[in-house]
Amino acid sequence: MRRGFWPVAGWVYLGLLAVFSLLPMAWMLITSIKTQFAAIQFPPEWIPSHPTLDAYAELLSPSREIGRVFLRYLLNSLWVSTATTVLGVIVAVPAAYAFSRFRFPGRNLLFYAVLLRNMFPAVVFLMPLFIMMRWLGLVNTQFSLILTYLTFGLPLSIWLLKGFFDNIPIQLEQAARIDGASRFQAFLLVVMPLSSPGIIATAIYSFIQAWNEYVYALTFLNDDAKLTLPVGLQHFFTEYATNWPGLMAASFIMSVPVVAMFLVLQKYFVRALTDGAVKS
Amino acid sequence: MVRHRADYLYVAPAILVMGLVIAYPVWFTFYLSVFSTPPNLALEDKIFVGLDNYGRILGADSVREASLNTLVWTVASTGFAFVLGFGAALALNRPFRGRGLLRGTLLVPYVISAVAAAYVWRWLLHSDLGVISALAMASGLRSTPFNFLDNTDTVLASLIMVNVWKEFPFVMIMMLAGLQTVPDQLLRAAQVDGAGPWQRFWHITVPHLGNVSLVTILLLLAANFNGFTIPWVMTGGGPAGASEIWITQIYQLAFGRIRFGLASAYSVILFAVMMTMGYFYVRALVGKDRPS
Repeated sequence: MRRGFWPVAGWVYLGLLAVFSLLPMAWMLITSIKTQFAAIQFPPEWIPSHPTLDAYAELLSPSREIGRVFLRYLLNSLWVSTATTVLGVIVAVPAAYAFSRFRFPGRNLLFYAVLLRNMFPAVVFLMPLFIMMRWLGLVNTQFSLILTYLTFGLPLSIWLLKGFFDNIPIQLEQAARIDGASRFQAFLLVVMPLSSPGIIATAIYSFIQAWNEYVYALTFLNDDAKLTLPVGLQHFFTEYATNWPGLMAASFIMSVPVVAMFLVLQKYFVRALTDGAVKS
Repeated sequence: MVRHRADYLYVAPAILVMGLVIAYPVWFTFYLSVFSTPPNLALEDKIFVGLDNYGRILGADSVREASLNTLVWTVASTGFAFVLGFGAALALNRPFRGRGLLRGTLLVPYVISAVAAAYVWRWLLHSDLGVISALAMASGLRSTPFNFLDNTDTVLASLIMVNVWKEFPFVMIMMLAGLQTVPDQLLRAAQVDGAGPWQRFWHITVPHLGNVSLVTILLLLAANFNGFTIPWVMTGGGPAGASEIWITQIYQLAFGRIRFGLASAYSVILFAVMMTMGYFYVRALVGKDRPS
């Protein structure tokens, strides 16, 4: 029964869902290539009669006021996300290796840390962290964000990396040890190269998390020049209230790298997201 | 395996950072919740008030209204996202050409930043220029634009719709992974024995998905209960508090009105509810390790 009722129903359903998923992205793109005047016509032009890349040109030109601000936010976001990712990998890789290979008291803590992280998203920690950052003199510094993102990302990063390390046969390391390598050398020269796809996927995952984060950035930073993109968008929205093409172009530039990275590494992320829940 | 002291060196940095940024704040929230704090950030002249803050939160009319919104927001978002995402997983759970591409397409809402999504939807649902209104008018459903967000009757439903759009892909991949654990032989054996698609679904697929569904639903409930970005960016709780939920109220209390004591008590209450959900979450996860 190749063409019964269910396959057809499935196709129709998936088609509708794909339209629902992509409509906002499509409209984001269409609005971003309109002139400001065309964007506020109603009923709207479904396909822009005079498409233009002005909004993008303006955002990306350092000589324009709006471009200067936008590029600043873009660089800030890049810096915060990259620093978070690099530090995260440096801290998470050895920890994950230990959780994968060694037996020690407190090993199960990781499992509960991952659970806790899943249960307590951002906002609950906001107040005490804010006060703590004040004490440490870190409020209004990007380091406060890096530290926070690093911490909240760690349990999941370690969990993901542990999964990758678990899949590397311990015999390979033992062979290296017999050949005279120290434990650290075996880790560095045997395990690390074999698990590099896992490390890259984990790194990109934490990059995306940091890149998209909103509520901490909103709270910890108040200096306009230090904002990251997600909070920066708000600034565009209020200051250029009617500049819909500009806002949509900014949103589009912000979304493209993340969506592209995710789609390329889809398989790893899907595994990463579902692993804990499906098998134990 | 031999135990080495040095093993701890590998984990120490991670434990240290996590202790600083997770354990301490939890304790500090409890501590602040029994103080009346002055509306400044120095927190110097705080006065011990016992459980007063809790009484004031639980007795406030605005909190009661927000509680109903929170319940509707959390349960409805979770329910619709689950049904939509599970449907997508079922439809995708067979080989066909372009399956990976379609799955990728459906994942886009999940990956995109919540802030960008909130702004785009604000634009799509705009009271005068919104493309959703334009579509409804073009198809003859309405003759004037519809005001979704600045309307106390429809604002919460609109936010829930956006939230469902953002979350259904998560359900989809979780359930797809779950579906892959359903043994093929069992399904084929049932087919040979004459079971129709509907019977196979009810008697084989559904029982196998119990735990994945439970974990997915609990994760969604927790995420929605704490969902901040979409309501905050799209409406800020308005109009007239019609889309105010606990989280947006706590944020407003803490960083709008700078009442950290009250906001901490409110957080602890939220904490308690989360812990209850967390308890069931852990039970659901541990439950599948037990031989059944």
